[in-house]
Amino acid sequence: MDLSGAPYGSLGTLSGPSITIQELKKDRISFILTETDLSVANSLRRVMIAEVPTIAIDMVEIETNTTVLADEFIAHRLGMIPIDSTDVERIKYTRDCTCSQYCSECSVELTLHVKCTEDRTKIVTSKDLVSNNPQFQPVVEDKNDQGILIVKLRKGHELKLKCIAKKGVAKEHAKWSPVSGVAFEYDPYNKLRHTHYWIEEDAGKEWPVSGNAKLEAEPNPDAPFDYNAKPDRFYIETETVGSLKPEDVVSMGMKTLLDKLGYVQMQLKEELASHQQDQTGWSY
Amino acid sequence: MPTTFDTLKREQAFRNPSDKEFQTPSLQKVAAPHLESFNAMLEYGDDKHGLLEMAVADIGHKAVFDGKGKDGKLGNKLSFWIDKVMIQRPMLSDKETRSIERKIFPTECRERLITYRGKIQAHLSWRVNDGPVQTESRLLGLAPIMVKSNICHLQHLYPAQLIRHHEETEEMGGYFIVNGIEKIIRLLIIPRRNNVSALIRPSFSNRGPAYTQFGCAIRATRPDQTSQTNTVHYLTDGGVMLRFSWRKQEYMVPAMMVLKALIDTSDKEIFDALCMGDVENTFLTDRVELLLRGFKIYSLYTRDQCLAYLGDKFRVVMGFDDDFLDREVGEGLLRKIVLVHLIDRRDKFNLLVYMIRKLYALVSGACCADNPDSPQHQEILLGGHLYGMIFKEKLEDWLTTVKQHITLDVRKYFTRTLARVPSDVGQKLSYFLATGNLVSNTGLDLQQATGYTIVAEKLNFYRYLSHFRCVHRGSFFAELKTTTVRKLLPEAWGELERFVCPVHTPDGGPCGLLNHLSHTCKVINEPLDVSQIPALLASLGITQTVVHAIRGAEQVAVQLDGRIIGWCEPRLAERVAKTLRFWKVEGGKGVPLDLEIGLVPPSHGGQYPGLFLFSTAARMMRPVKYLANGKTDMVGPFEQVYLEIACMDDEVVPGVTTHQEFAPTNILSIIANMTPYSDFNQSPRNMYQCQMGKQTMGTPATAIRHRTDNKLYRIQTGQTPVVRPDLHNYYGMDGFPNGCNAIVAVISYTGYDMEDAMILNKSSHERGFGYGTVYKSEIIDLGEMKQQGEGILHHFGMGKDADKKWREKLDWDGMPFIGVTLKDGDPICAYVDDTTGRTHVKKYKNHEDGLVDEESLAIISQKSLGDTPPLFTCNDSGDQECQKVHIKLRITRSPIIGDKFSSRHGQKGVCSQKWPAVDMPFTESGMQPDVIINPHAFPSRMTIGMFVESLAGKAGALHGIAQDSAPFKFNEQFTAADYFGEQLIKAGYNYHGNEPMYSGITGEELQADIYIGVVYYQRLRHMVSDKYQVRTTGPVHNLTMQPVKVSTRRRIHSIRNLPSFISPSSAYYALGNAYGRKRAGGIRFGEMERDSLLAHGVSFLLQDRLMNCSDYSQCHVCRLCGSIVSTVSIAPTSLSTRRDIECRVCGTSKGIDLVAVPYVFRYLATELMSMGIKLTLGVKP
Repeated sequence: MDLSGAPYGSLGTLSGPSITIQELKKDRISFILTETDLSVANSLRRVMIAEVPTIAIDMVEIETNTTVLADEFIAHRLGMIPIDSTDVERIKYTRDCTCSQYCSECSVELTLHVKCTEDRTKIVTSKDLVSNNPQFQPVVEDKNDQGILIVKLRKGHELKLKCIAKKGVAKEHAKWSPVSGVAFEYDPYNKLRHTHYWIEEDAGKEWPVSGNAKLEAEPNPDAPFDYNAKPDRFYIETETVGSLKPEDVVSMGMKTLLDKLGYVQMQLKEELASHQQDQTGWSY
Repeated sequence: MPTTFDTLKREQAFRNPSDKEFQTPSLQKVAAPHLESFNAMLEYGDDKHGLLEMAVADIGHKAVFDGKGKDGKLGNKLSFWIDKVMIQRPMLSDKETRSIERKIFPTECRERLITYRGKIQAHLSWRVNDGPVQTESRLLGLAPIMVKSNICHLQHLYPAQLIRHHEETEEMGGYFIVNGIEKIIRLLIIPRRNNVSALIRPSFSNRGPAYTQFGCAIRATRPDQTSQTNTVHYLTDGGVMLRFSWRKQEYMVPAMMVLKALIDTSDKEIFDALCMGDVENTFLTDRVELLLRGFKIYSLYTRDQCLAYLGDKFRVVMGFDDDFLDREVGEGLLRKIVLVHLIDRRDKFNLLVYMIRKLYALVSGACCADNPDSPQHQEILLGGHLYGMIFKEKLEDWLTTVKQHITLDVRKYFTRTLARVPSDVGQKLSYFLATGNLVSNTGLDLQQATGYTIVAEKLNFYRYLSHFRCVHRGSFFAELKTTTVRKLLPEAWGELERFVCPVHTPDGGPCGLLNHLSHTCKVINEPLDVSQIPALLASLGITQTVVHAIRGAEQVAVQLDGRIIGWCEPRLAERVAKTLRFWKVEGGKGVPLDLEIGLVPPSHGGQYPGLFLFSTAARMMRPVKYLANGKTDMVGPFEQVYLEIACMDDEVVPGVTTHQEFAPTNILSIIANMTPYSDFNQSPRNMYQCQMGKQTMGTPATAIRHRTDNKLYRIQTGQTPVVRPDLHNYYGMDGFPNGCNAIVAVISYTGYDMEDAMILNKSSHERGFGYGTVYKSEIIDLGEMKQQGEGILHHFGMGKDADKKWREKLDWDGMPFIGVTLKDGDPICAYVDDTTGRTHVKKYKNHEDGLVDEESLAIISQKSLGDTPPLFTCNDSGDQECQKVHIKLRITRSPIIGDKFSSRHGQKGVCSQKWPAVDMPFTESGMQPDVIINPHAFPSRMTIGMFVESLAGKAGALHGIAQDSAPFKFNEQFTAADYFGEQLIKAGYNYHGNEPMYSGITGEELQADIYIGVVYYQRLRHMVSDKYQVRTTGPVHNLTMQPVKVSTRRRIHSIRNLPSFISPSSAYYALGNAYGRKRAGGIRFGEMERDSLLAHGVSFLLQDRLMNCSDYSQCHVCRLCGSIVSTVSIAPTSLSTRRDIECRVCGTSKGIDLVAVPYVFRYLATELMSMGIKLTLGVKP
């Protein structure tokens, strides 16, 4: 499939989009997407934020809660805890599953039972969640990470609950988003004049240039304005919440896009097949 | 501008609450006016004599006679009096035998919905004739006690102990608990005590013939804080009358008679005292002459004659003992009514003379009238003082009733009479606090009878604080049409008015009448030691008054608390004032710092000159810097008018300015001070913020579990603002967060942010932005169902006959399980009825689901009886079964479309859409706003402070610093834009706070750069869930069959007289109500709404609203004659058993048809018929 965008664009080539990784860390990736159209780059951004599936706690059955926080508030906090979703592909969406409510095919069960019996304040963290599937554990950064704080207990407080984590996308709820933010920029020197900078006195003093500007040639102030130019170099940086590796987020985002188009393609085939029979006569 | 978040300090204080000190001591001062005034009842000043003791002394003795003496003699005398009154700390009743802890703490009262009160113990003494004195101790009921006062168990407790008693860590007290509700006696503005003010009131001339509009009034205050107003009136015939009211009746007495009754004097002395040697002034001498001459008609020459005359006339009114001579009654009158702040008769004489002189000066135009609306002539009626006044009056009433009872039947024994006379003073005080109504024989010299108390709502901390600081002008003024009392007067503004906040007053009805004390304002509440002052004044050259004639006319009076100390030249008065002030600030000379030194210089037609010193309680005072020595001077509103106080450094004029403000923000109240950069905003916006800050869903309390408030609003994700003033920490606001820091973009995006709507980021919302909870109290009282005097018939619990469905929600004890969700119609609690032996339930009635959060049974002790549910005992003596239960329900309120939010700059808006994060605009760094607001919200409202907050918040968030937002820190040379611009540049952001943004939908860069930053957002308590109204069918008006409309009687009346047949359109009352939201009322679907449906062509909807859901009806019409009024049903005959409809006019049933018409149309036809007008309908198939 050709994703290179408009081939007639002045800067467009037929070679298709290409990607250069600038930086790759545990929780972030920064890359440059080139030779493609704005719509494609933005689609990738949108998909990474909202449509890459992950696992997150969706249902909480509370058995005992004598803590200071209300049931629904704890449930909300649990939902926000990132769960390692590297193997998210192995889990089905509950809606696609044959089971009636949930099963091990389409969900992960996590339990939590903490009781404070000492005089000291006890903290309940994401590390206290026990998963029935070792592939899907709450994310921990490193050995020293004590986990994400859920609630603090005093002597006599108890929290016992069962969580059902399901596969989902951030379109439905932000807890399924694998990213905390996607930086997106093109044309740092505003050569295309898509925007107007508000300048009081001195642009240099008021507008610090973006870091991505170093990667582009400084504009020649005498050069004539190219009104046909289109953006084709996109600086994207993705920061994850930990549930997925940053590079996976990008590739899964692309896959999601492909799947979407693939689905349309399939539909098109079906439609064509049904229309073929009608082509015997003029439709009017 | 350093300010800090104090995170660690606060965390530490929360973890390990101290048992030695408060974390924010300043909070303890907020309720000081209330607390100190209450404490004064029992301890006033250093000598530990309470006001109550003084009151008891002032009530004095009462006496009755048995009339057994011969020859009309009075007989034996029984005199009785109260020796002492004590209020005890709240304790369990002696009847209760099970508990070890005998103290009752406030939290118990809140949870049990009872009153926090202690026993009133009075020592009553009596004697017969000169026999031995007998004393008896009597219980006068239970008096409500102010929390944290000197008879409260919490008085000296610190955070650690307070937490143990389920209170707030920084509990500040100052309120009463009445039936579980926290009540405050509101501060009230009243005329300044012991100060003679000149008045011109047209209503004065209505007092009688010859009365004029001129008068001089003084509100004289007794040591026990009760007061008596005396007014001298000028009469056209030159006379002067003294007016006073006694037991709500007004009396006038010639001033001359009072003068002569006060001391043994001569006409010569009175003449000299009034003229002060100014015999050239013929205006004065003429009138004094008339005054003296006019009194001759009474033929009273000596003091004794005057006293006897007064005594004779006032014997019945005053109600003194029967054995008093007329003379003694006269003396009693002078003691109890005339210038009661003075004891010495000579002092009274001097002051009365002074009042008459001032009156003459007013009449002649030598001085002007004093403005009673100016704070110069005002002071504050403090809660504790009012409480004490009522206390005193009720004690006196009790004695009087006792007296009446004995008089009725002298043979009865004294103690038996006592038992018959109701003596529950405590109950009367509770009634006062619960209702705010003043039931009084005397009126207590006050202008209103209702509205004295307010509920201390814990809606959020701002609102709670402001209750303690609010001052009301008096409900009398609320009805006044003129707005003069509401005005912030030019003379009271500018350099002057610094005692109440100019910003913090509500809009609308109470505007300008309900004010708030500025945050540094203090209300004096202890007696000052002024014993040295007269000697000091004498040493400074003030002459004592011995011979009046030798004084010059230009000499001015020197008064201390309404007592004339002496006279002197104006120039000397000025020097004395300066010296006194220096001594007062410097200390050490016996001049207390809180003394007010009001020097009024002589002027032509200005205020009446003199040197007025005030040391009494209930005055407002505030600190300013005294430039002469750089120390703190306390300044009051009377003297402030004549002081030279500079605000900023550049306003100091050498040689003229004597004082300077410590900070320009001192004029603002606590709440107004919390508005960031309020100096950048248009002023009404700051007022709005003061209102909205008090309607915010915040953190009402930290001890939320132990609260039983009717409704509590709480935000779950509260944050400390990045941008806040220093006072935020000073008042410990971080203990009670009120909102959260939101990323706000100012952009017109998608159109959903039009007209003050705001777009919320859906993902932010899902992550918990603005998530709130409402706690609602359900109180179930089984005692209400039984008759008075009946035994207990209902018991909480579930019998074996209980419905199985109930068991899902309720436990065996009849209470719902904690954490269970209650839907509309679910059982909330079960009880067994003894008469039927069956189990019944109370149902939960609310369309919103409630989660059971807490149950507090009004328990003192409980015992279990085998398998049966536990018995809870609930009355004070602990011997009765529990009949009342309080269930706290939690209702979750996640923000939805239609909920209200606001920034701290009076910029409120309604959430119009929760927009998906991917569609929100974003910056190059991937930031997406939580909130989008429309740029059109700014040009007309000019809330520049919000822009500055956005800048400061952004810079603060980027650098991790708290930004000080106190107003008046920036100026033209040192601008906020530059200060925060530099910070932003350092963080790599645009200087002006703008950023290029991209459309979330297309990914294209937006044409303009967008102003985006961090603004603290509050969620207001107004939510659609509480407000939406739906109605299909419901109550209807029985004449028109249309839904009942209108909430006021007047409008119902107007419908009744509605000429609906003349203008049918006005009869379109489709959905209206007098029924409100709860009872399926609707909103009128009016003509304009009708027009819009017509314009849209949605006729089916029109028919639904105006016909089907309104007054749909069917009727028969005769096709032949077109009438709907002539169709009648005819009785079945032998020929046909069918009931038939027939037209009376046509005499046949051939043309009858059934049609659907609005009911009013039938009514119209009938009305027209009664007027002789025929209405014809053309019916076509």
